[in-house]
Amino acid sequence: MRIPLRHTLALPPLFALVLGLCITSTPVPAHAQTAYYLGAAGFPSTIRVAIRENNASGEPDPRGRIIFVSTVNFDDYCRCVLPNEWYPAWRPASLEAGAIAVKMFAWYHQLHPVTVDGFTFDVDNTVNFQTYRAESYQDSTDQAYYTTRNLAYVKPDKEIFELNYRAGYQNQPNWQYRNAQKMAQWGTEYLAEQGKTPLEILEFYYTGRMLTSIPGVGRS
Amino acid sequence: MLRKLRPASGQRTLRLRQQLGIALLAIGGLLLTPMAAYAQSPSPGSTPSVQSVQPNNGAKPNASPQSPAPAPSAPNTGYVPDLPGSAAGRLRVKVIDGRTRKPLQGAEVVVIETEKRYKTDKDGLTPWIKAPVLRSARYRFLVNELHGQLNLISYKDGYRDSVHMGVRVNEGAVTKTTIWQYKILPGPDTRVEPVLYQEPYHRLWIIQLADRFRRPSQLGEGYERP
Repeated sequence: MRIPLRHTLALPPLFALVLGLCITSTPVPAHAQTAYYLGAAGFPSTIRVAIRENNASGEPDPRGRIIFVSTVNFDDYCRCVLPNEWYPAWRPASLEAGAIAVKMFAWYHQLHPVTVDGFTFDVDNTVNFQTYRAESYQDSTDQAYYTTRNLAYVKPDKEIFELNYRAGYQNQPNWQYRNAQKMAQWGTEYLAEQGKTPLEILEFYYTGRMLTSIPGVGRS
Repeated sequence: MLRKLRPASGQRTLRLRQQLGIALLAIGGLLLTPMAAYAQSPSPGSTPSVQSVQPNNGAKPNASPQSPAPAPSAPNTGYVPDLPGSAAGRLRVKVIDGRTRKPLQGAEVVVIETEKRYKTDKDGLTPWIKAPVLRSARYRFLVNELHGQLNLISYKDGYRDSVHMGVRVNEGAVTKTTIWQYKILPGPDTRVEPVLYQEPYHRLWIIQLADRFRRPSQLGEGYERP
């Protein structure tokens, strides 16, 4: 079947119109262009945690309704995330790399809040952000958190960015996660077992970043 | 010849019978001794094994200078609470009021697996507990659990009992856990039952478990990936 010429001439503008509609209908977060830098952005004292309803088994449901937003001390939030994300019996270097990742993830989102179903919050208590359980802190993870509390892992211009991570696989460095610029949690334990320091672990997964101290923030 | 032999053989038979009787008596005695001891011990489960705390049920102690009461002995249940040979970690339990989140003093925490009891201090904390690492045998040959699990119950007068299951414990590691107890209010609490909290498995192990049985032909959400 042959298509008349006038019809083929009309196709590119139609395609452009559809493309334009697609682009304009894509939601653009208001904070997409906002960058925050270490020094200008003060260390958070609190963070707003959306508590989602539990599923029938009694576990917070990542797709569940938001019940309320709890304002939590920032240090307590990080302390109550780390043992649920990293494994508390792992080596200190792994936990310290994890503590920095958990803190930088939380800090980034504290600077970039979202509004869902009428609730404005920074993070929720599920794997949508980081798994948070109140009062679940442990000695080993607390030690890792406070050892690294005064440290930030940022871009060379000191921009605060989200340190993301996934579980990964046991007994290997997880190169594919490095390629995706995400930290593999099992990989941190593997590298710690190989004698790597927390900085070496961070540098392995997130290239082109730097570890620096946070102005005015101590270890306690 | 045969007549001469008969009396001798009869005496030998008699001597054999006597020896057999003595042996039977000795065996019977050996068997009866532990049975008699068992009959004197309390029946299994009649009294809880109390190690760290003696529960005070309000009864006055039956003590007189002439006839001191014998110390109560633990029931012989055949269960060894100390679990010799099993690896252990250290556990400390904090009990708080679930509404005010303030520490609860004087709550009694029972570790179900060891049958031991511990009282909380003014900060709501139990003493450090030697916690055996018990991994579920169900998963042992498939994917070994990252951590052992213990189950606890906390009792406090005026509060709902709180059953806290699945506390994660590791070899040589320190574990802290918090039990939330809820005050019984006269108005709304008409039906009072224990509160259950089931501590979840660590998400890292759940991911491993799901990947372990995933068929390449039926990927589901797919293998864990960055």
